[in-house]
Amino acid sequence: MSTREERVYWQCLEERRADPSYLADTSGELYEPPDPDRVTRRGFLGRVGFGLAVAASGCTRAPVERAIPFLSQPEEMTPGVSAFYATTCDACPASCGILAKVRDGRPIKIDVNAESPLGGACAMGQASVLSIYDEGRLKGPLWQGQETAWDDVDRAIRQRLEAGAKAGGKLALLTGTITSPSTRELIGRFLDRFPESRHVVYDPISLSTLRRASAICFGRDVLPRFRFDRAELIVSLDADFLGSWISPSEFAKAYAAGRRIPSRPAAGHGHGHDDGHGQEDEHVGANGHAVAESEPVAMSRHIQFESCLSMTGTNADTRIPVSPSEISATAFALLDDLLERSGQERLGAGIPASLERSRLEETAEELWRKRGRSLVVCGDNDLAAQAAVAAINSLLGNVGRTLDLENPSNLMQGDEGEMAVLIEEMMRGEVGALLIHGVNPAYDWPRAEDFVEGMGNVALTVSFADRLDETASLAHAVCPDHHFLESWGDAQPSDDFYGLRQPALRPLFATRSFQESLQIWQGQAPDHLGYLQDYWRRHVFKRLPSERWAQAGDEERSFRSFWDRALHDGFFQAPPRPSSEQALVSGWRLPIEARIRDAGQGRPGAGLELRLYEKSGMRDGRHANNPWLQELPDPVTKVVWDNYAAVAPALAADLDLRQEDVVRLTDGQRALELPVYIQPGQAPSCVSVALGYGRRKAGKAGNGVGANAFPLADFRKGTESSEEGTEVSGKGTVLFRSAGWRLEKTGRRYPLAATQTHHRLDGRPIVREATLSEFEDDPGAGAHGVTHELHNLWAEHEKGRHSWGMAIDLTACLGCSSCLIACQAENNVPVVGKEEVRLKREMHWIRIDRYFSGPEENPQTVHQPMMCQHCDLAPCETVCPVLATVHSSDGLNQQVYNRCIGTRYCANNCPYKVRRFNWFQYSRNDRFDYYMNDDLGTMVLNPDVVVRSRGVMEKCSMCVQRIQEGKLTAKVQKRPLRDGDIQTACQQACPSGAIAFGDLLNRESHVARQNRDARFFHVLEEIGTRPGVGYLTKIRNKGKGIESHG
Amino acid sequence: MNRKLMALACTMLVLGGLAAGGYVTWEIWAVGINQGYAPEQPIDFSHKLHAGENEVPCLYCHSGAERSRHAGIPAVNVCMNCHSVLERETRGIQNFKEAVAQGRPIEWVKIHNLPDFVYFNHSQHVRAGGVACQECHGPVEELDLMRQEAPLTMGWCLDCHRSGGMSDLASDYNAHREKNENVAVSGLDCGNCHY
Repeated sequence: MSTREERVYWQCLEERRADPSYLADTSGELYEPPDPDRVTRRGFLGRVGFGLAVAASGCTRAPVERAIPFLSQPEEMTPGVSAFYATTCDACPASCGILAKVRDGRPIKIDVNAESPLGGACAMGQASVLSIYDEGRLKGPLWQGQETAWDDVDRAIRQRLEAGAKAGGKLALLTGTITSPSTRELIGRFLDRFPESRHVVYDPISLSTLRRASAICFGRDVLPRFRFDRAELIVSLDADFLGSWISPSEFAKAYAAGRRIPSRPAAGHGHGHDDGHGQEDEHVGANGHAVAESEPVAMSRHIQFESCLSMTGTNADTRIPVSPSEISATAFALLDDLLERSGQERLGAGIPASLERSRLEETAEELWRKRGRSLVVCGDNDLAAQAAVAAINSLLGNVGRTLDLENPSNLMQGDEGEMAVLIEEMMRGEVGALLIHGVNPAYDWPRAEDFVEGMGNVALTVSFADRLDETASLAHAVCPDHHFLESWGDAQPSDDFYGLRQPALRPLFATRSFQESLQIWQGQAPDHLGYLQDYWRRHVFKRLPSERWAQAGDEERSFRSFWDRALHDGFFQAPPRPSSEQALVSGWRLPIEARIRDAGQGRPGAGLELRLYEKSGMRDGRHANNPWLQELPDPVTKVVWDNYAAVAPALAADLDLRQEDVVRLTDGQRALELPVYIQPGQAPSCVSVALGYGRRKAGKAGNGVGANAFPLADFRKGTESSEEGTEVSGKGTVLFRSAGWRLEKTGRRYPLAATQTHHRLDGRPIVREATLSEFEDDPGAGAHGVTHELHNLWAEHEKGRHSWGMAIDLTACLGCSSCLIACQAENNVPVVGKEEVRLKREMHWIRIDRYFSGPEENPQTVHQPMMCQHCDLAPCETVCPVLATVHSSDGLNQQVYNRCIGTRYCANNCPYKVRRFNWFQYSRNDRFDYYMNDDLGTMVLNPDVVVRSRGVMEKCSMCVQRIQEGKLTAKVQKRPLRDGDIQTACQQACPSGAIAFGDLLNRESHVARQNRDARFFHVLEEIGTRPGVGYLTKIRNKGKGIESHG
Repeated sequence: MNRKLMALACTMLVLGGLAAGGYVTWEIWAVGINQGYAPEQPIDFSHKLHAGENEVPCLYCHSGAERSRHAGIPAVNVCMNCHSVLERETRGIQNFKEAVAQGRPIEWVKIHNLPDFVYFNHSQHVRAGGVACQECHGPVEELDLMRQEAPLTMGWCLDCHRSGGMSDLASDYNAHREKNENVAVSGLDCGNCHY
């Protein structure tokens, strides 16, 4: 048992500093504000009497219900049985492989396509199923703001396109990154018909310099594909690659794969105590020391230099706060060190002021030792920094190993320099027609007013948006595209991988696919599917080696079976091209040297620095009208329904700022008013603000939530004067950081709603963690070293056929919250709104608790998913007066809604605070007008789970509907249940495989093995609840021989 | 005399009150119980003719009972499998052929309604449990007008679940386990149906 000192955990600064108002607010179970309309006892009795009278007079038969069968039932559909269609997500360009769960003709859930190499569904992807049923969607095309028939819109657009082409006006097609190869080809053909036409690709949150840096350093104008699973050392410079950077779901999966902790059996009864799940006869003779002598654990190490505390930063083994402007300097200094080590000419770069030399040298040393097995990534859209990072990876021999240029990524195609040129042309009136697909520059271009002005000078503007957003509302015509679950399509997120998209439902409205619109406007018959198949025949099929053809020699039949296979699987993995090392090409130093020269001339560094970042749920704000995402707690701050100005505790103390003070963030020209959030771990001179908020025309849920920070981004023109010229630096970049800001107090306050600060820890140890070397010495490291003698007043529950249990690996959990949205979709969890969250009334069945420890300047973080622990000796069960929460024979703690009378005793007595009370009727209630209040929104509800009514308690059921379904399937197939047959929604959604679920009575099940692991523990096991859910200690790889810095 | 009258009146009042109370209790107890409910249907469909005299198997039309939670009402194309070749025409048949021709779905009146907070699955009972349709639905093959045979109360469900009503078809499912006396063949946990 380790004898290290107890780590102290805290959830927020107020708790750490024992703020009296915080202590008062969290002293009770619930938040009870003074209620002016308080109901008196007499008034209450009067209303009860009236209510009874009304109820008695209204006792009539239930209304007559109708049952309307199909006229002709589709063959593949049985009412009441879900079908799963493999398809490709389009919530962002990352194009992950998903399964659409379709019940009675409507998609109700997005699952991860586990068979796909790019299978994944982040919180945003999961939530996109709700966007189909968004009341704010357009029901058909608009011309000049009026609803019009497609034929009329088409006629008007074609006339103007042709007239414009004759008059010599330019035509521009403005899109986001399009990973679909067939659509790119179709766009090319469309534009070929117009002489003065071009395709401009614009990513609101751009990373164009990464592609450009590849061109400069390797002579390859591609976005490298990063392979985090192959890296033993990951150094990230302000890249939030697990939360929002390029392809977070893919990266999270790969990252977790490189950080699996092997199973080590518990050493007898030394650690903790018998948990009642049958580990008493386990591993006789096995002890911790015998294990410690075995092979070292292959766990990657992750070092994060960053300015604001990102979700990725919370997972880093070592995290180093650096101000935003010093990210590039950090890259230069690392490069300088590595150049020296490899015996090449140095740059002469200085070390950033906020960084100690020793830390930098340690990092360089570690990188040098892990040559060819490391990976350095950078999230700053700055050419010099990206070039330095590319050079570092090349010097380390990582190219061809942990980053692949031969099978590059097709994401992040945007070039904001081209965008700026287009806007200039629009403002000069040179553009005759502008077609806008998938982007919303009137909201997210840094100088949106220029774009809006330019749009006014274009003779024809057409938007394909699904709603009248900021841009579409200014367009002459809106030709709404299908939701991606309604459409055919494909995607090629990386060169060797093709995803196929198929419709999961018929279009709900008179929308039309973007591709068919283009076909019609060039005078062709609309046939997107035909075009898609043709493209796959001509190109994708060609990448299938002919020896793998289904019918040797018969191309057509082989293609048919190839297509059917791809449609069934949802993807085609082409044979990857062999990757190779790539030497630096001459001239790679130019942008870096230019920057170092400029820096030497002294720069205006006064004031605070601003860093604009993406939240992993809201990202660039395109899904702002999705109430699930608005109410998704931020993985780091746990704040919902808002963005804010995050500042370091030291800065807040300097400026005398309190939490929730409204400040004016200004650089002299621009200003934005935001509430303050004091963020531990933030770089001291840096203010960070999330993008994606402050939408004006997103829809009823998203309008007016937070403030729009896009105008604070900086567009910088390419430096044409220097010798590198525009060829190298491009026509310009958008930088999401800048200097020279100050914060002015306004004297006002603005309340924020956060989900985690509702309760106090009171010093109780909730999570366990240990370093890798501690773990290697003792697999049970991290335990608190106290063995509790547990007494039991109650009769033991007899186990039936199963005992469902769950084990959650805290080392694997990244805090991404995909599980939360999966649970919300699966279990019909309502959205309650910001005010209710402030009153501690959020309804999420699973929450991701985030615990800090260590100094405020740079704390360590642990994420812990917390849901009903399904205790064998559940405190809630003993206090329910009506037996509405009882134990099942298979180990579940059941909540029986129809028995519940709403005393809330159970929630009061729950030590884990996971029970949720329906304070209101959240469905069909105008007060909660999010999605359960209209016929369209309720179509997303899972018919296997009841929508709870007002006055009942609810909580995690361990997806009992999935358990029942899995058992039934096995019974129908006359076989025993297999481990893995049943997956809970959270487990299925987890990109890092942190959640294991199964039958504890099946000793070979994954969860039973996890229960016997040395790292396994129960939260608050000393109170003797004997939970069915347990956790595995978080392990951090602090490195060997290097002092841990926290 | 007056006192006798008073006593009688009081007794009557108390008895009347009790009777009224009992009646109200009885009524409230029966709220939501629709045993015997036999509404008129848009088409005079006779189970007696189809399932009884012509011996069409239940599952031919209600095929969902084997595969789904819903037994389902057959789609009209299932009816037409036979009726497109049968020559006999009644007014009911004409009605429904007219509906088919017009592409108008038939709005049957739903008879068996469970509250939302109960999950019931037909295939669980029919396929895994081997329960005959008639055990819950009564002698449907003798009925001209379909009606709700069972009360569909929780007590009625549990009567069967407690008596181990299901045959031991699930034995393969349990094959790898030792015989466990604690395990009822039919589910008795709240969470088997309420979620």
